[in-house]
Amino acid sequence: MRKSWLDMFAALGILSVLLSACGGGKTSVNEGGTKITSSGFECPEPSPRMDITSKELNLFVWTEYFPEDMLDCFKLVYNIKLNVDEYSANEEMYAKVASGGTAYDLVQPTDYIVPLLIRQNVVQELDHSRLPNMKNLDPNWMDRYFDPGNKYTLPYLAGIDAIVVNADKVKDIPTSWADLWNPEYAGRIISIDDSRTVISMTLATLGYSPNSRDPKQLEEAKNKLKELIPSIKIFDSDSPKSALIAGDVDLGIVWTGEAFIAHQEDPAFEFIYPKEGASLWSDNWAMLKDAPHADAAYAWLNYIMQGDVFWLTLRDFQYINPNLAAIAYAKDHKPEIYADYFDSPITNPPQEVFDNGFYSEDVGEAAALYDRIWTEVKGGN
Amino acid sequence: MLKRLRESKSMQGTFLALPTTLWMFVLLIIPLILTLIVSFGKRSPDGNVIYTFSFDNYARLIGISHTCADGSATCFDPLYINILWRSLTLAFNTTVVVILMAYPLSYFIARAKPAQRNIYLFMVLIPLWTNFVIRVYAWMMLLRKEGAINIIIGWVASLLHLPFTPLEMLYTPGAVLVGMVYEFLPFMILPIYTSLEKIDGSLYEAAADLGANAVRTFLRVTLPLSMPGVVAGTILVFVPVMGTFVVSDLLGGKQVILVGNLIQRQFLDARDPAFGSAASLILMVMTLIVTYFYTRKFGFGEEIVAA
Repeated sequence: MRKSWLDMFAALGILSVLLSACGGGKTSVNEGGTKITSSGFECPEPSPRMDITSKELNLFVWTEYFPEDMLDCFKLVYNIKLNVDEYSANEEMYAKVASGGTAYDLVQPTDYIVPLLIRQNVVQELDHSRLPNMKNLDPNWMDRYFDPGNKYTLPYLAGIDAIVVNADKVKDIPTSWADLWNPEYAGRIISIDDSRTVISMTLATLGYSPNSRDPKQLEEAKNKLKELIPSIKIFDSDSPKSALIAGDVDLGIVWTGEAFIAHQEDPAFEFIYPKEGASLWSDNWAMLKDAPHADAAYAWLNYIMQGDVFWLTLRDFQYINPNLAAIAYAKDHKPEIYADYFDSPITNPPQEVFDNGFYSEDVGEAAALYDRIWTEVKGGN
Repeated sequence: MLKRLRESKSMQGTFLALPTTLWMFVLLIIPLILTLIVSFGKRSPDGNVIYTFSFDNYARLIGISHTCADGSATCFDPLYINILWRSLTLAFNTTVVVILMAYPLSYFIARAKPAQRNIYLFMVLIPLWTNFVIRVYAWMMLLRKEGAINIIIGWVASLLHLPFTPLEMLYTPGAVLVGMVYEFLPFMILPIYTSLEKIDGSLYEAAADLGANAVRTFLRVTLPLSMPGVVAGTILVFVPVMGTFVVSDLLGGKQVILVGNLIQRQFLDARDPAFGSAASLILMVMTLIVTYFYTRKFGFGEEIVAA
């Protein structure tokens, strides 16, 4: 009983935040016909403007992953209703759309779950002739293993998980994943609570494929990981930056965006791309098979892929931006935002990081083995 | 129809219970049956449920393994038993500490003047007005290395010219226990208070007349009469603590897996709802068994209704 109370409190808390975040706000049109959002942002015209007959568009997306202005502008320039539902785990999204019968048009799967969506026949092929603004996307994030030729997906935002370290407090700055086993770091490490990333990283230190399905290699990785776990003081996927900034821990494996904010708070935080290769990820757009408003979905994708629209993600988030036109737009019009982005090795990594980085792929049957390893190393007595 | 309803007490009862019964049926019984069905299933390579009728998930939970290090066909693997045991231990420790802290306070409130009692009870309840997760975050602020407690101790130490290294309090098992006790304390105080408050004052006088000293009176009169409150409080604390994991994740740094984490992982990262369902049912059954034996020993507290 108590448990459901708590859930209800939590739900109410979240709801009230959402309500206050989404509520209110007036949009307007000025004399020149330019549409202006509630925060005063002037909406660029769509180029090209698509012909759409749908009156609404249903998005099913990650929580807090859009600039408000981007959503508002699309509504204004196409005079369309935008319904946004949110999820906080790929598996949650998959469970909902796999059974079909949802009214969603677009979802935002992360790389590893895309092959599953394709295999299960949940998503439809994209018509590239209706996506002229695809040309703006960064080749580094295109044509990846999970969707060769981008037949089904387009990257939205991306990142690279690597090591963040407080250079003021740590003597030996690590240069590889293997360095994390250094006894100096015992009890000073934070890690995202992501079994796949951590196990892949461990496999990489042993020289194996980060997506190995070989039980022997995984057994070896498990034993190696068991040695590291006691050194890790905190597992936190939600806000690993907090413990770093607060000084509870001094280094760790964190998301790109978190590292960027930590660095902004305190320049002592450095971002290290490990020698064995860092962990790449991207969140992507995919269109559901039974999308009721495909025309609006194409219009949306084209509109947000415009450089003068997508730069908003540079302004509001600290991920890697897979849209070159947006970066170019920021360079010309928002030099400060561009400088922050371009000068940081976190958001603008050297090319070799892309070349020797790895994705955590879906490992099929072996997923049970990965889960088992994680449960054992963390549940070990 | 209406006339009969007006006359028949039992029909009135049925009628009044109907909304709740329907609610419980749709939101409790049906999901439970679905969970049971899924728990006999298997995981497909893509993480969907294959509906079969096998006890494999349960066998895995109680430690029957078919992937043995020594190459034999079956062996004992205590992994999940250990996780259940750890959750049980944490729930037990939390409950014991909560009882030890709640009892004296309840006693104090029950013995206070009636006008003051309400103020004290009100103070017990005030923290519940704030969101549960936010209160856990507040503890994080207090316990951090550079948190409020360390700052204050450091300040006092500097006044006394004593050397001071910040205490490691957050992300330790102690922090988890503190957080758990804090969260669940009111749920013990209220039922114990209710049962203490009901004790007739003349019983104490009678005990004194018969020559019992304070300790004896407490052990022979107060404690037995307040047991229903303790039992009720224990159920209200122990059962939710068994399944909770937010406190241990935030204050303990997720270093260990509790049964709540285990179940959550199956529905997300591991994509194995069948195993997750089996684990949830085992948790429920285990909680029921513990509660059953506990209440058989001490009687079912009627205070659980009052609370």
